[in-house]
Amino acid sequence: MGRAPGVPLLVCAFRGSPQSPRDVAAHVGAAWGEAPCPVLVVDRHGALVRLNRAARSLLPRACDGDRLDGIAPAWLSDAHRHVVEGTPGAPSGPLTGAIDERVFEAHPSPSTDGDVVWWLVDDTDRRRAEQALHHAQERSGVLAEASSRLLSTLNVPRCMEETAAMAAEHLAEAAVLVAPPHGRRHTLTYARRGGPVSQVTWKIDPFSVHGLSEALQGFPPVPARWIDPHGIPDWLLPEGFTEPPGSVIIAPLPGHGVPAGALVLLRSGTERTFSDGEEAFARLFAARAGAALSAARLYTEQAAITATLMRELLPPTLERVHGVEYAAGYRPAKDHERVGGDFYDFHPGADPDQETVVVLGDVAGKGLDAAVLTGKIRNTLHALLPLAADHQQVLTLLNGALLTSHHARFATLVLASVRRQGGHVRARLTSAGHLPPLIVRTNGEVEQVPTRGTLVGALPAVSAQTVEATLAPGETCLLYTDGITEARGGPLGDEFFGEARLRRALAECAGMPAEAVVERVQMLAAQWLGGGRHDDMAVLAISAPKNGPLSVVGGEPSQIRRSR
Amino acid sequence: MTGYFPAEFSVEITEHPASCTVRIAGELDYDTSDELVEAVVGHLRGRPHTGEVRLDFTGLTWIDSSGLSALLMIHRATSALGAALRLDNRPGFLDHRLRLTDILDHLTGPVTPAGLSAPGEDGDQSRAGAR
Repeated sequence: MGRAPGVPLLVCAFRGSPQSPRDVAAHVGAAWGEAPCPVLVVDRHGALVRLNRAARSLLPRACDGDRLDGIAPAWLSDAHRHVVEGTPGAPSGPLTGAIDERVFEAHPSPSTDGDVVWWLVDDTDRRRAEQALHHAQERSGVLAEASSRLLSTLNVPRCMEETAAMAAEHLAEAAVLVAPPHGRRHTLTYARRGGPVSQVTWKIDPFSVHGLSEALQGFPPVPARWIDPHGIPDWLLPEGFTEPPGSVIIAPLPGHGVPAGALVLLRSGTERTFSDGEEAFARLFAARAGAALSAARLYTEQAAITATLMRELLPPTLERVHGVEYAAGYRPAKDHERVGGDFYDFHPGADPDQETVVVLGDVAGKGLDAAVLTGKIRNTLHALLPLAADHQQVLTLLNGALLTSHHARFATLVLASVRRQGGHVRARLTSAGHLPPLIVRTNGEVEQVPTRGTLVGALPAVSAQTVEATLAPGETCLLYTDGITEARGGPLGDEFFGEARLRRALAECAGMPAEAVVERVQMLAAQWLGGGRHDDMAVLAISAPKNGPLSVVGGEPSQIRRSR
Repeated sequence: MTGYFPAEFSVEITEHPASCTVRIAGELDYDTSDELVEAVVGHLRGRPHTGEVRLDFTGLTWIDSSGLSALLMIHRATSALGAALRLDNRPGFLDHRLRLTDILDHLTGPVTPAGLSAPGEDGDQSRAGAR
């Protein structure tokens, strides 16, 4: 600064000063030269009288006597003119403006001789802090919006559209979301600021873009400055993005354990490049989007699995076969699950002389575990059908197939082998730890079939007694699960429907067709429940038709004659 | 109509020399059966010389098929130790379920390596008989 060491500051400041320095010094005080903020003394004509040390370092080109408008920005020299001329309408608040990279508030104090002392208070850091706070608020707003918009949908394509649209709106000029491959094809979602969002599925080579294949594999992101914007292939540019890209960010979308894709942010060469702060924020945004996307993806996969399982596990439709009426009804514990722990199955005999096998049962537990075990039991029983002449053997083999050391999840079930003989229906019934079937006679009497046996799937050995029952025309045998008798409801809300009520209800069903019995029992149980929670409920009815021909399904005249 | 609130489920294990008593209160069902199995199996893990485990059902208010599964799992654990399982103070509904599913003799029978049980033992404590 041209000041010899040890020379007093004020002497330095006086150098070359033509005006009355003593006067000013007296006015501002002797300490001003050491003041930490820049101070300039300017006369009424706009010439610099003196500067303190801080002012010299701020305006290194300035010398005493220079014109203020020659060395300081216009906002300051204009303000000086206003102060000197006393122009009305001067701004009331502090004057602010930039000098070089920094921002100052300028406070004038006019002295009696017409000089003005300008105190410049450096405001840059407060400005920066305010700006940073504003940015942070804006960004947390964007993140909050991202979370609420993305988490409100569990639809994967919609989630990808929202992500790309928000990224284009808040982070870049354009954004492309590259989904993980499906085979070798990737779904690409393009968004351009102010433009529509579009989605295509293409076979692309992620290795052709530096950083993209890494991001898709969930590796740490490649810094934006390493990515050559000129190397971005055309398929990564949204329609309408005509300028060559100037800067690119490729951010991985981290999912739950597996990557949810990559987000490519683009700015054209005419725009400014991404700052470090923007890059960091982009990764933050990508983390939110990735979490939402993978939640949606997991949900979609789970829904697909459930749908597939359900198709396999849904109970079959029962109908009249070989002169015997069958009907069944099922109500799962939760209406949205459709598949639960109760099950029934139906295997019509190949011809009227063959027995038709029906099974109704209940698996311990709930949900998917129960549904899977149900499927296993139904499949195993299907395979064991040729052995159905001996229920005990079927149950022993089934028990062996289900035994596992992992859990003691078991099933209880009733096996029924049914055949029409003359006008009557003969049924061999075996309970494996299940509620014994009830038979309603034509006179309204209700009997319990005295079959009993061991549950299957938990004990090393099982035994069961098979009971043969005969149904006269109009009589029905009812198989049911404890969801019916243990339906909690009634006037007080916590009473069981119970076997006694079921028997009374059945007594009123004497002579009714199978379908009507099932509907009646289901209706009464549902009424009993009111709106209360309930377990799975399954009912299956086997009825000997009251009168009429043996069968209309595949019935031949000889069979009808024989049956009468 | 009053709402239906199930009684609070609780498991309380009292240790005696070479045996233990497990008091079970409340509903033993899908939601609570894992808790019972973990408590009993966890207790037995540190005590390989337990000769008898008594489950006391005085406070039991309800049991479902998952509850029965839990009893079967506990039986596996006691059998593995060579310990006898006793089911004390069984309410009628429990007895009914054990007889319906034909597992009472299995659960309370003498301990054999194969887990097969001799019938007829421990039937005296039932309050509700088999049909």
